[in-house]
Amino acid sequence: MSLRQTISSTTLGDRILLVFLLLASFAGIVFIKDVLPSSGGVSIEVQGKTTHRYLLNQNRTVRVESPYGHLTVEIRERKVRVINASCQNKLCEHQGWVTRGVIICLPARISVSVGGPEKSGDKRIDATTG
Amino acid sequence: MVLMDTLVTITIVTDSADRAEKAMDKAFAEIGKLDTLLNFFSEKSELSMVNKNAGLSEVKVSPETMEVVEKAIETSEKTGGAFDVTIGPEISQWNFVLKIKPQDESIKRRLRLVNYKLIQLDKGRSTVHLKEKGMLMDLGGIAKGYAADKAVDELKKIGITSGLVAVAGEVKAFGRKPGGKGWTVGIRNPRSTEKSDEIMATVQLNDAAISTSGDYQRYFILDGKRFHHILDPETGYPAQGCQSVSVIARDGVYTDAFSTGVFVLGPKKGIELLQSMGFEGLIVDKDGTIYTTPGLKGKIEFTTNH
Repeated sequence: MSLRQTISSTTLGDRILLVFLLLASFAGIVFIKDVLPSSGGVSIEVQGKTTHRYLLNQNRTVRVESPYGHLTVEIRERKVRVINASCQNKLCEHQGWVTRGVIICLPARISVSVGGPEKSGDKRIDATTG
Repeated sequence: MVLMDTLVTITIVTDSADRAEKAMDKAFAEIGKLDTLLNFFSEKSELSMVNKNAGLSEVKVSPETMEVVEKAIETSEKTGGAFDVTIGPEISQWNFVLKIKPQDESIKRRLRLVNYKLIQLDKGRSTVHLKEKGMLMDLGGIAKGYAADKAVDELKKIGITSGLVAVAGEVKAFGRKPGGKGWTVGIRNPRSTEKSDEIMATVQLNDAAISTSGDYQRYFILDGKRFHHILDPETGYPAQGCQSVSVIARDGVYTDAFSTGVFVLGPKKGIELLQSMGFEGLIVDKDGTIYTTPGLKGKIEFTTNH
């Protein structure tokens, strides 16, 4: 079947589907970028409140405390990891080096977002219905 | 129903770009697959095969189509027929773009074809049969919510623990956002004056879905009267009690279908039904009065600038 025949044999539905899939794929890319910014900063939240903000390209080690515990965040070569967490399971330590994403220490209620802080916190709307 | 006529967005939280990409692909593919099965306008969909064989023969369908039809019938039973996917013969004679209102006589004549009890399911052989010739099932009031559920299932299978899928206004969220917060979903104001996407309230979702049915989504005004796309299966005319109904529950398939059913039932019966189902909801009645289920307290925040 030639290309022309293939095209002429498509229905309107097929074409709508194609356009949609292209749009959907593009939307997917945009959203991945939105959720996982590839560069930017490190923001540390204690009990939901941002307490520290750093640039990813400046090496440092910082101790973070909350009423529930403490941990140490190490930023090096655009990567971030948690060391010396006060909790028992040390899940956040085991996560190792993170280049983008979030490290959450539930027992201490501390979260470390790598790749930029959230946009304007609570007021941001993730989706709309209606 | 045009599942794909609408914007689908998927947001996920993961620390692996590879996994994110893979999960997105799977979830979009799942929604695409459901569209090929359930699209009202596609000649080749299973739904169209069932409709073409109305009054003639039963049609073998996939487990997905079977499940959607089952849930649709279940919702019809729970809403006393206020939600009914056999509304097809009525809805297909309206045109909300060209402002075509059918003749009263024609609406009346087709009403006998609107009855979910005339859908015959054989689960053992996986067949669906519409008993009367001329019957038409339109799954537009349930398929998008179902698609959101299935897309979330696909994301979870890949190991994604947090994300949000929105198939038009059918939104399903799971897990928590970075920082431990729930997902924030805005509910559109049914009578916004300036911007069409003005938000009247926001709700926090954790492992739940939300859907909204409104008389402003597809409608026209004729002689000062609003005619919209949510038809009362009992009369064949647009339901009159509400402007907007939002329903929150675990499954998108239910929030989608019940938002339509509750819209038809009206605010009083609607809130009662939602409570008896253990669902949450917000209803704006025809005069603009807002009703909510008691459980919504603390989870909903009304915007002040409207």
